[in-house]
Amino acid sequence: MRTFKDSNPIAVTLYFLFVTGITMFLFDPILNGISFLGALIFSLVCGDGRDNKKHLLCLVLFVATALINPLVSHNGVTVLFFINDNPITLESLLYGCSNAFMLVSVLYWFSCFSCLMDSDKLLYVFGSFSPKAALVFSMALRYIPLFGDRSKKIRATQKTMGLYKDGNILDMIRGRVREFSIMTTWALEKGIITADSMSARGYGQGRRTRFTNFRFYLCDVILLILSSVLAVFVIMSAVKHDFVFYPAIVAPKMSLISVIGYVSYGVLVLIPTINEWKEEIRWRYLRSKI
Amino acid sequence: MEILKVEDLRFAYPGEKTDTLDKISFSVDAGEFICLCGPTGCGKSTLLRLLKKELQPRGDIRGRILFNDKDISEDEYDTSSAIGFVMQSPDEQIVTDTVWHELAFGLENIGMKREKIALKIAEIASYFGISSWYDKKVSELSGGQKQILNLAAVMVMSPDVLILDEPTSQLDPIAASDFIATVKKLNREFSLTVIITEHRLEDVIPISDRVMVLKQGEILCFGDPDDVVSKIRETSDLISAMPSAVQLYHAVGGKGKCPLDVRDGRNFIEKNFLPSSVSLPTDKYIHADDVALEMNKVFFRYSKQMPDVLDLMSLKVYSGETYFILGSNGSGKTTALGIASGIYTPYSGKVKVFGKNVRDYKNNSLYKNCLAYLPQDVETVFLENTVGEELKDAMEEARELPFDVDRLLSKHPYDLSGGEKQLVALAKVLSQKPQILLLDEPTKGIDAASKRRLAEIIKALKNRGITVVAVTHDVDFAAMTADRCGMFFRGRIVSENTTREFFSDNDFYTTAVNRMTRDYYSMAVTVSDCAELCMKNIREEGTVK
Repeated sequence: MRTFKDSNPIAVTLYFLFVTGITMFLFDPILNGISFLGALIFSLVCGDGRDNKKHLLCLVLFVATALINPLVSHNGVTVLFFINDNPITLESLLYGCSNAFMLVSVLYWFSCFSCLMDSDKLLYVFGSFSPKAALVFSMALRYIPLFGDRSKKIRATQKTMGLYKDGNILDMIRGRVREFSIMTTWALEKGIITADSMSARGYGQGRRTRFTNFRFYLCDVILLILSSVLAVFVIMSAVKHDFVFYPAIVAPKMSLISVIGYVSYGVLVLIPTINEWKEEIRWRYLRSKI
Repeated sequence: MEILKVEDLRFAYPGEKTDTLDKISFSVDAGEFICLCGPTGCGKSTLLRLLKKELQPRGDIRGRILFNDKDISEDEYDTSSAIGFVMQSPDEQIVTDTVWHELAFGLENIGMKREKIALKIAEIASYFGISSWYDKKVSELSGGQKQILNLAAVMVMSPDVLILDEPTSQLDPIAASDFIATVKKLNREFSLTVIITEHRLEDVIPISDRVMVLKQGEILCFGDPDDVVSKIRETSDLISAMPSAVQLYHAVGGKGKCPLDVRDGRNFIEKNFLPSSVSLPTDKYIHADDVALEMNKVFFRYSKQMPDVLDLMSLKVYSGETYFILGSNGSGKTTALGIASGIYTPYSGKVKVFGKNVRDYKNNSLYKNCLAYLPQDVETVFLENTVGEELKDAMEEARELPFDVDRLLSKHPYDLSGGEKQLVALAKVLSQKPQILLLDEPTKGIDAASKRRLAEIIKALKNRGITVVAVTHDVDFAAMTADRCGMFFRGRIVSENTTREFFSDNDFYTTAVNRMTRDYYSMAVTVSDCAELCMKNIREEGTVK
């Protein structure tokens, strides 16, 4: 069963780039609203949305962003009330809200993205640009836990050798410096073995190929094409009209083009959710036959 | 068919006057299993590395090395996939972060097509039983799994010759025999040529086709295992690395065919010795009244969500005693020592050193004239660039150790052999003048001679009244050294006894000698025990007189 999560990481990454890019760079409150709804629904669907702390954080961020704008920017014609002789305007408040929607929805999208991707997938995506960088990245990922583990061991040994006093900061700093110096020696020393192991297995003897566990299946290609086409629709329609906040709100007239743009974006943000639902239904149906 | 031929090979490291290898000539047939042994510093590793072009050390190489009748020094001759090389340390050989990528690494290097790599990896992962951890990060693997991965990552390139340089010295005995069994299987099933060096030869000698003994850079002898092992009786440094059956054969002055494994050893005993006087007089177990280390109902876990590592662990070690904690890898033995040495604090339970709670030793007083800890990775003890600086405050202790420390003073601690590292690190922690010494896997990565030296040191420390607590999975070492042993399993000590009783009660987790003499002699745990018993029971019709 292939859900959105199992799709080819390059297709998934491009999808997220389209969705967040449109939210961030095409300044349109309606698009922001759609994006926010899509992100929220998908974060609930993909299981990332059970983290209540995250929702609370986003809410706080939303309120703060929405309120700060009218407090600092006094543009706009519709004055609601005065604070310290400064006008608080409706336009400025709505502008803040629109911004807040954008910020929060991008946050939600990113959190969904990080929920879907792991280092293997990221490596695959970056490696498509440069196989060499991918190898370096993979080796770095190998070394992080190795070094962490090592430094813990060194610290423990240093402690039992009686080199730290309780609660002495100077001692602690000295200890960390010493630890760092041991770590460096150790890393250089062991690096030789790794280098040997690499050359023993033929590294540097010619052109490397690159093996990955991911492939482009038909559904990945469809996802890629569909999301690109929809994104082009949204962008083409959005550049045709402008949403103006100051001095007074002027919403662009609804035309066929703008409707096509909004609908396209709506479909775009719902692709992963629909995909999950589709697979869920298909799975239930198939399971009933098992 | 001859696959590898070495002709009059000499080698000297740059700047050294004497040759590390001298007049080495031999040839290896395809499909042979060759065991290369010799004391530390005899040139084993140098010889192995010379056979692998990519790893040849810098220096003056004379003579020829022919692989499939072609000189490997020819520039265009690429042996990177034809000769596989597995090294000692499981961790540092791994290049990438995931298991699958590690398997693919070599094939990517030789520019193999994606689809072909996928097939090769699928094959190798199935053969080595890696499929279940194919997607894992290498940092989540155990030492044994890492080494199997290293072997698989070499084998995926389908080499004709596999060279292994002490591949199991960092593994526990169970993982080590698994590893050797896998190598044997590869040798038998694919007629893969294997050349291996090892510290522990118990498992390797019986399965070797030929054994080569190197001494000071020269081939001492090279031939059938039972022939070679019966020739080397004079070089006692080597004898202690041999299988227990071989050691016993020499200890009782055996003649004729030398037994190599437990089964042959048992036959040898039954044929030559009677079971009339079956046990040795044992000393009654007496201990001092004061307790040096006490752990009482200790519970510990590394973090809230993780399971208990120590689970109702209790332990009492009396002053002046040598106590060994035995158990398999990952059972929490090392954690137990970490708790005893105050590195970790248990969430429940008491730990007392000489009757005083570990927490009440303020400002390092625990580590001064009281307790010292030698970790498993002794390299973490070293802070300086030379052994001399390292031992500045520990010269007195270093001089007492039975090895020549002066020769090492100008060297970098990382350049020492495993055994030397262990002893230098031990001297360093002994300068804390401990009353109780904690050792974590003291025999890991050291050769048999160093192991015997270490056993002597521990006995000498005991005579000075120092309490020694060690964790190990080396049953032979524990049998040689300990007063009492405890079996550690699932977070606690499940049984403890004096060493002889402990091992003779165990059926599986015991020494090879004990398995050899099971139901024939009782309480024979070490080679010297068994030899003593045998000499009392000589059969008239046997070959031993």
